Amino acid sequence: MVDVVTANNRHKFSGMVDAMHTDRKRIFVDSLKWDIPVVDGKFEIDQFDNADAVYLLALDAKKETHLGSVRLLPSTKPHLLGDVFPMLCDQGVPRGEDIWEITRLCTAPHLRGREAWLARSYLAVGMVEFALLYGINKYTCVAETSWLSSIMAVGWECEPLGLPQELNGETVGALVINITPATLQLFRMKMGWRHPVLELDAIAKAA
Amino acid sequence: MSLVQNVQEFVREANRISDIKELQVLLEGTVRELGFDYFALVHHVNIYQTRGEVVYLFDFPPAWTELVDRKGYFTDDPVHVACQKSATPFTWADVPRLITLTTRQEEMLQAAKTAGLGGGFTVPIHVPGEYTGSCTFSTRFGREVPLASLPAAHYVGSFAFEAARRVVQRMAAKKGGRLKGAARPKLTRRQFDCVVLAGRGKSDKDIAQILGIADQTVHQHMEDAKRRYDVATRMQLIVRALFDSQLAFADLMN
Repeated sequence: MVDVVTANNRHKFSGMVDAMHTDRKRIFVDSLKWDIPVVDGKFEIDQFDNADAVYLLALDAKKETHLGSVRLLPSTKPHLLGDVFPMLCDQGVPRGEDIWEITRLCTAPHLRGREAWLARSYLAVGMVEFALLYGINKYTCVAETSWLSSIMAVGWECEPLGLPQELNGETVGALVINITPATLQLFRMKMGWRHPVLELDAIAKAA
Repeated sequence: MSLVQNVQEFVREANRISDIKELQVLLEGTVRELGFDYFALVHHVNIYQTRGEVVYLFDFPPAWTELVDRKGYFTDDPVHVACQKSATPFTWADVPRLITLTTRQEEMLQAAKTAGLGGGFTVPIHVPGEYTGSCTFSTRFGREVPLASLPAAHYVGSFAFEAARRVVQRMAAKKGGRLKGAARPKLTRRQFDCVVLAGRGKSDKDIAQILGIADQTVHQHMEDAKRRYDVATRMQLIVRALFDSQLAFADLMN
């Protein structure tokens, strides 16, 4: 299942939030060699890991293992596309109450094959459920173009915000993803399940 | 209209198409706006030997497509082979840098010119658990590849392929199949463990010892897993589980 972690309930998830930052360091810094800040030598934490950030955490049943996570930021506040990569948008950075940004989507490095697929699927459906519950119509994201086909193959309806550009040796582009109730139906059908994945109890407390 | 707007317009329309002919028409127009003459949008499989959810859409000079059919160029097309070596797009001039060309492949590149093709630009399409595919844009003989259009062509290629992929999957689903994700066989945790160890070259006896279960139980897990995939041998089982990403290569190499 997927927990919604906001500034209000973050104290209840402090262990799992630390585990997320640790896994993010292993994935984005150690494996993918991104040039981003590391805190205390083991946590990947940047300026956008602040009180406005909402995390979706895929955890095991006992809530003791981080299986995957994603960081969601409101486009009306500082965020990666708006503050670091605005040049990727041809017609300005999309901003609005109904537009949020997806960053740091990852699955725990120890997961293999089917387990990793499950964690990714839970997060994908979790992001759609979160969007529908919170009145979000569009997600934006910055993506390496080599991942583009895999992202779209999940079923996201993507549109480019500008042409891909080469930055620091990687070809990256900004995308906007449209979310509708049909997106949820499609994703659940593809994954082969009907139940919601967000922990509803956690949402009430996170609000 | 700027190139970006061309691409955005293309993507909006491609996201809405309901059949493959609409995509063909849409691409024919966009390809020319980008400064190319031809295109091919294909999964890298032999179309005559494969059924089902395969993308196969092109607009190339007939002289070339006839030659490809007659000589069976599909099997070792150097551009397709180069796609296996590259996550990012490349021009045909880059191909010798990506792979070592065989004599036959050098002939193919020469034959393409004779058949009326100039340069080309290819976007490899890699989706886990699916055949590799590509979207290629090409100019007619005597015209240079329009370098300024390449970032736009990159996106048009990626989005066009995804649009085609969705149409093909929808058609397959209508024919009685289910969507790909749901149709994929699933292994139980224990079957998965056994398949991983078998993939690392262990015998049933070894696997039984490692997992602390009876030889016969291991045998049963392997048999059940084979049944789920509808295959006859352990080798087929491992290959299929790798192919649909239930297994990762990393699982087998630890």
